[in-house]
Amino acid sequence: MELPELAARWMHALTSTAYIPLSYAEIEQALLDALARLPESPESVADRLVSLHATGPDSLRATIEVLSPTFGLAPLARLSSAYAQAMRMDAFDQQEQIKVAIVRAKQRVERTLKVSQARFREVFDSAALGIVITDLTGRCVEANDTLAEIVGLRSGADLTDRDLRDFYHPEDMAALGASYRKVSEGHLDRFRDQRKLVRADGEPVWVHLVVSVLRDADGDPTHHVTMVEDISELHLLQRNLDHQLLHDSLTGLSNRQHFVSQLERQLDGTPITLYHLGLDAFSVVNNGLGHETGDKLLKIVARRLTKLAHDKKAVLARIGGDEFALVAVADNVTSTIVEIQDALGEATFVDDHGIALSASIGVVDRPPAFVTAAELMRCANAALRQAKARGKRQWALHDPHDDARRRGKYALASSMPGAWEHGEIEIVYAPVHDLETGEVLGAVARLHWDHLSHNDLMALADSTGLSLPIGRWLLREACAQAARWAGEFGDRAPALHIALGALQSRDEDLVADVKGALDETGLPAERLRIALDISSVLAGDDNALVLHDSGIVTALDGFRGGHDELAVLTEVPVRSVITRAPAPAPGSRLRRAMRDLIATVHSFGVRFGVDEVHTPDDAEHWRSAGADGVIGLLPALSAAEVTALLARAASPPPGAS
Amino acid sequence: MSERVSRVPEGVDTGKPSAARLYDYLLGGGHNFAADRALAEKFLRAQPNARTIARLNRAFLRRAVLFMMDNGIRQFLDLGSGIPTVGNVHEIAQKSDPGSRVVYVDFEEVAVAHSQLILENDPRAAIIQEDMTRPEAVLKAAEASGLIDFAQPVGVLTVGVFHFVPEKADPASVVAAYRDAVPAGSYLAFSHFTQDLQPEEMAGIVEVMKKSQNPIFPRTRTEVEGFFSGFELTEPGIVPLPLWRPEGTNTDDPDKAGIYGAVGRKP
Repeated sequence: MELPELAARWMHALTSTAYIPLSYAEIEQALLDALARLPESPESVADRLVSLHATGPDSLRATIEVLSPTFGLAPLARLSSAYAQAMRMDAFDQQEQIKVAIVRAKQRVERTLKVSQARFREVFDSAALGIVITDLTGRCVEANDTLAEIVGLRSGADLTDRDLRDFYHPEDMAALGASYRKVSEGHLDRFRDQRKLVRADGEPVWVHLVVSVLRDADGDPTHHVTMVEDISELHLLQRNLDHQLLHDSLTGLSNRQHFVSQLERQLDGTPITLYHLGLDAFSVVNNGLGHETGDKLLKIVARRLTKLAHDKKAVLARIGGDEFALVAVADNVTSTIVEIQDALGEATFVDDHGIALSASIGVVDRPPAFVTAAELMRCANAALRQAKARGKRQWALHDPHDDARRRGKYALASSMPGAWEHGEIEIVYAPVHDLETGEVLGAVARLHWDHLSHNDLMALADSTGLSLPIGRWLLREACAQAARWAGEFGDRAPALHIALGALQSRDEDLVADVKGALDETGLPAERLRIALDISSVLAGDDNALVLHDSGIVTALDGFRGGHDELAVLTEVPVRSVITRAPAPAPGSRLRRAMRDLIATVHSFGVRFGVDEVHTPDDAEHWRSAGADGVIGLLPALSAAEVTALLARAASPPPGAS
Repeated sequence: MSERVSRVPEGVDTGKPSAARLYDYLLGGGHNFAADRALAEKFLRAQPNARTIARLNRAFLRRAVLFMMDNGIRQFLDLGSGIPTVGNVHEIAQKSDPGSRVVYVDFEEVAVAHSQLILENDPRAAIIQEDMTRPEAVLKAAEASGLIDFAQPVGVLTVGVFHFVPEKADPASVVAAYRDAVPAGSYLAFSHFTQDLQPEEMAGIVEVMKKSQNPIFPRTRTEVEGFFSGFELTEPGIVPLPLWRPEGTNTDDPDKAGIYGAVGRKP
């Protein structure tokens, strides 16, 4: 066989046994060259085959099969053995190469790791945060110096192998343990928390914690990373702010808000006593010696009371300008009061002024367990007002019954404006009877609300500042009604009597109000009787005189027969006086005195009327004693009822008394 | 573990077989370890024709590179280049035109280190360590290498790699990203395991590789066609490797090739 043909066959045989990265023509040429060298140098042919990469498992077999018919056994045996040797060397070379590659790859990985470790180390060592890596049992594997500093150790190494939980505050142990578990169980990626750690010296330290988990290549948790930020300075600042919110800046004592919350905590069934102190005449110190002295004095008082409170294990607060509160476990109230007064009464020299203080004290002793702190404070305050009313250096025990009465009145007073606004306060008319003839002399316009008498209502109105507007309203409404009656029934219409409250009786606008009401409603002046509270006249007010000069008939209400009242009757031109008194029973010595009094009043040309006379017997007693008229024999009627009555009445009542 | 964390090299473990070294072994190379050879033996039991398939794939690479060079391509991006073994792209290309430039891309530590050894003295070839399914990063690094001019047509080579990419990694969009990055006149060479030709053997291969670091996802002809979206297929289209522009008379049985090959041109 010609060599080129042999080369072609060899090429085809070889290329199906191995990948030779050359064109067929190139391979064929290479093999042809090899064939030429084969008889002399079968070893070079073997090297060539291996360098061509004719190194498949079947490449040598294919070569022997193609070449054996042409070449003898000897060169092919040499070729085979050289081929095996070249293959070995080639494999060694390749293994060498791949090992170098592996070493390099490893070096690079290590280098990258080293860089990343160095970066981590830098972060770990220089962080302002404490960082600790713990295993899943809580044992510290590594911690930085910052953390050591936070927990009061010298260096991060001191933490190694310690249980991180040793530094948890006992209160936080359970909650933190649960949070760590949630992270390692994968319920949370990380958690943040604000907790207390306990330093090596036992001091607590407030920290922010951020905890996350480290996982191995299979994703299983292996360690926790805990970052710790020391926020105790922040915490102290926060606490300072809280302190300012809850404490009085002058004395450093708790303020009212703080005291109330402390008081609330004490209301757990332990019997307590609450003392509410008001310094007596402290405004005199402030005004006379100046506020600076006043402030110094308050500080001294605070110091003395603090010592007292400390001895009694009581809670003390400054709850007002010159008011302090003290709550203690219930003890002997009297001796505590003495101790307080002794503490305050010790003479104090402030800016060269020797001052001895005293306090009025309201006391709530052993309140029932269900009261609220706010309720207690109110009761103590009420008791303090009572004590103050009695003078200096007094104390008063809170009386729940008295308190209920006051509160009822206050509640009524506070709801009165609303009642008036909603039209719940009505004007009713009570007849005035002439005791001699039994005839109705006129009608008294009165306020009616919630079963309260007119006089109680007016007193209530006085206490709320409502009496003036409500009095003016009464004046105007009643005048308008009386004018309607006069227009409809002429002389049969009753004269209008209006009794004014104490405040309105003194009001300097009263005369203008009365005239305005008459002008607006068209009620003739002679059909109006104004009863002024006698206290206004006694105080020297001239409303009665001016009204009289304006042609309006006046009466004085609240007459009691005193000397000063009788004296007034000689000076002020009034038509009548009105009194409220038990009926003088026949035969009593009082009856005689009453007769004499009525006679005296009559002697001044003044008629004598009696209010709140409800029975014919009483009316008869008064008549026999000489009184002229009574109010209250018949119940008061609404305007509509009066109108209906007037319309039905066969005989007209007399128009004037 | 997040993507970011996995960028830290996971280390070198010669106890774990790699597809690149398995391929090297099937090609008769010596750049492999016992674990690779053990896997190769299993592979060969599933597909006795595996050595031929490896050879066919390597030969396809050579023919495709030369085809592209005939069409004026002088710069190549070889994605998933693996262990430098017999007949590397830069050797083929530079033998034909010494000015040809090649950028290899692989992620596996040993493959990269080995490539660096081979390429140490070649200024016109380089290896980028990057995950080829992250085209943005690959393209950025390729540009930074100074070897690829994306204004000029590029030969993109993805020979026997996309069957390692699962559907959830969206291989079609990965190919599309490379397509969009290269100018008109660029080429894509692509070979891919298929179950169309020897379904039983392919199922065996899939089973063998399932538990390795490189499981295999063979695809049908239609699926392979999908990768050429935006390319014009050159003659003879998508065919079993022995039928793709064979040199001389083909003596290999196309039905036992187990792998499709094709070259597309971006119009």
